Amino acid sequence: MRLTYIKTGTVMTMKETARNRFALILLLTVPVLFFTLVSLTMGDNPVAFRLASISEDTIVEVSAQKQSLIFIGVAAVGLLTSFLAMNLVQKGADVNRRLILCGYRSSELILAKLGVLLCVVVLISVYVGALLRLFFRPENTALVIVGFALAGLVHSCYGLLVGALVRRELEGVLLIVLLVNIDSGWLQNPIFYAEAQNKALIRFLPAYFPSQASIVAAFTEQSIAGAVAGSLVYGGALLLIALAIYFRRMKIQKNV
Amino acid sequence: MRGEPLLQAERIAKSFGRHRVLKDVSLEMRHGEIAGIVGENGAGKSTLLKILMGLLAPGAGKVSVRGTIGYCPQEAVAFETLTVNENFQYFATAYGLRRNGTADSWEAAKNDLLGAFNFGQYENRLVSELSGGTRQKLNLSLALLHAPDILILDEPYSGFDWETYLRFWDYTERLQSQGKSILIVSHLVNDRTKFDNLYALKEGHLECV
Repeated sequence: MRLTYIKTGTVMTMKETARNRFALILLLTVPVLFFTLVSLTMGDNPVAFRLASISEDTIVEVSAQKQSLIFIGVAAVGLLTSFLAMNLVQKGADVNRRLILCGYRSSELILAKLGVLLCVVVLISVYVGALLRLFFRPENTALVIVGFALAGLVHSCYGLLVGALVRRELEGVLLIVLLVNIDSGWLQNPIFYAEAQNKALIRFLPAYFPSQASIVAAFTEQSIAGAVAGSLVYGGALLLIALAIYFRRMKIQKNV
Repeated sequence: MRGEPLLQAERIAKSFGRHRVLKDVSLEMRHGEIAGIVGENGAGKSTLLKILMGLLAPGAGKVSVRGTIGYCPQEAVAFETLTVNENFQYFATAYGLRRNGTADSWEAAKNDLLGAFNFGQYENRLVSELSGGTRQKLNLSLALLHAPDILILDEPYSGFDWETYLRFWDYTERLQSQGKSILIVSHLVNDRTKFDNLYALKEGHLECV
């Protein structure tokens, strides 16, 4: 592993990301739009639900609006990070392959991308967490931001997987929007989850652990360690699959 | 033209499904040789180049390369949201070139190429803002940055104006005088005399023209 190569790759990837105007506009506006819509449409009536990651017997009662704000925050972070991650591996695939042909290793290029992605995930999570405080003050904002960051990590690994698998942007965007919409925006909502027939399937989806971490941190004083560990394992597994596909796609024959 | 071949392709075959694009293609390139491969659209020229570069695995046969290689793809392949200079920097890192302080630094090579192809005024412009012709100049320059022993060019002058076309051949002849080998693939060859060897790719076979 050559540090100069990773450093140049990181700097160039950062420049590319910072110059992606469409992504920057989405990054700034999507969370504001999502939070505003929820605060305008959801009432403040109390809702009671069970938190799957703590205990099936513990019932939490909070305002419907606050509960929805947390879920829409997870969805916003998931949508943005998966879109950015997909963009990072899909958009420049040809030119990245040319770089590999010229002497880069695919591991150096992907490390540079992962470094930038990690920074972006942290930035987006902090931004969405700060915006959330304009609408209400969670029990533990820092841990809610950790929950958002976990959503960002898991979804960016999903985005990498989509970017490595699918060659065209439209298909990739559809795969991302469908999953984030159904998973984060609907199935992980504890009100739906409480009545769901197949809870095991919902627990298997990417947003389960990050959603649990965020909502536990927002409304209780319980530990989120289990949800953190679950998110990291889930994200790690997705990352490994994404990397295997990426390396295969970037493979060059060595003509000696 | 002397010594061991810099590039040797032996009995290359390649099929896509049932369609046999390359049947039995052999080719050798030696120091200071300029060779051309012509063929109709869809004849398999780009497939052959991708195999020579290692971008595609042959179905059968073997490719051997001795020395450094530069490849200019048919479509301009560069980072759209980086400037011309940043693209040079990124590729210089890939080639393992030093920035400055030595005569063979990439800054010196970059300045030479910007001058040779007359696009120095676009050095700090984003690639997305460049015209097709200027992108093609950059595309070619990125392949030349490390002064490769063998240069493989896929339709290199398709977007060039007349003046750039002439500059391209001046530069190519300069490389030839330094003992570099150049393989140009094109659907159209204007000047037969520029090539030491010219081949036509027809029905999966390479024939001398």
